[in-house]
Amino acid sequence: MASIVRKHAVQPVRANVREQLKAMDDSAVVTAFLGGEERAFSELVERYQTRLLNFVYRTIGDREKAEDLVQEVFIRVYRHLHRFDRSKKFSTWAYTIASNLAKNELRNRSRNPLVLFQTVQKNWQDDDRPVQFEDTTSRPDDMYRKRHLREIVEESVAKLPEHHRNVFILRELEGKSYEEIAEITDCNLGTVKSRLNRARNSFAEIVAPYME
Amino acid sequence: MDCRQFRENHFAFVDDILPGVELVGMQVHLVECERCARHDANVRRSLMLFRSLPSINPSPDFGKRLERRIRETKAADMAGAQNGRSRRLAAAVAIASAAMLGYIGFSLKHVDTPRDIVFPPVVAFAPVPEPIPATIASPAPEMVAALPAGLPIWTAAILAEHSPVHFASLELASFKR
Repeated sequence: MASIVRKHAVQPVRANVREQLKAMDDSAVVTAFLGGEERAFSELVERYQTRLLNFVYRTIGDREKAEDLVQEVFIRVYRHLHRFDRSKKFSTWAYTIASNLAKNELRNRSRNPLVLFQTVQKNWQDDDRPVQFEDTTSRPDDMYRKRHLREIVEESVAKLPEHHRNVFILRELEGKSYEEIAEITDCNLGTVKSRLNRARNSFAEIVAPYME
Repeated sequence: MDCRQFRENHFAFVDDILPGVELVGMQVHLVECERCARHDANVRRSLMLFRSLPSINPSPDFGKRLERRIRETKAADMAGAQNGRSRRLAAAVAIASAAMLGYIGFSLKHVDTPRDIVFPPVVAFAPVPEPIPATIASPAPEMVAALPAGLPIWTAAILAEHSPVHFASLELASFKR
């Protein structure tokens, strides 16, 4: 009986801690984790897993690998959070790790043609998925058009040079400021602006024929 | 504003961060230049398309996999720390042993090692001449008796050697017998 009462008493405390963590900003959650609150790490994962996954996926174009890399990001965050300079934004730090891992992945692929082939093959296999999984409410020609357009957009992004693509995704998808992008990509502000301008122009040129 | 300036400032124009004067200049150029207006429209439309790409979500087992990997990492870190400790200990022992061996080697190098006995060179010495034995091993009683009388030793010695002295008292004594 006493154990049941205790269990009931503990659960609200746990829920309460989770709610408190949810209400905190990143910096406070980091502080809580460093103070020994393990649940704070889960909160950070919950906040960033989807954003980082989209960022890495758009950068490298391989979903499975993107998940692996995002897991690696969180493992690095877990291991090295005590070294994180808390005067800076946690998100910038996490994106920097993700960006570096994505860059390494692309570099490894360019060195290893087999990996590149496997990725391309995987994407072909993805194309064989039944179309109805896309959107069941649309008409077939709409679905085809949407899917076709999505592929074109994804391919167009992939065609951008790596350093342009990185800046482009951080700005357009993640909504990062120029200053944050400069920190994440380890470039100066002028370079970020110039790369962003070029990336936007190139992307528009590639996509324009399909939009008419 | 010309087309080159328009293209250079276009990213800031799209992001709406241009100062008022430049913003008006861009808008005026947009009205005046059809080519730049088309470029502006293309960029904005393509960006809208890109931003509307569907977001992907992590797979359902993402959290579990991450948890497992973190547990493994923790275990590996702990094992690594233990290994590190034992490795440090082993290194300390190795260093101490090496130092000891070095010390022993150094000591042995500087200790007088037993070598073949080297004799000093042979030097020939002339035998020390033994004192010439006095012909008279001990002074004759006559000489001894003469000394207090003030006679020089050598004359007494000669006298004692060559001409035995017969003292009157001795003679007298023998005579009495």
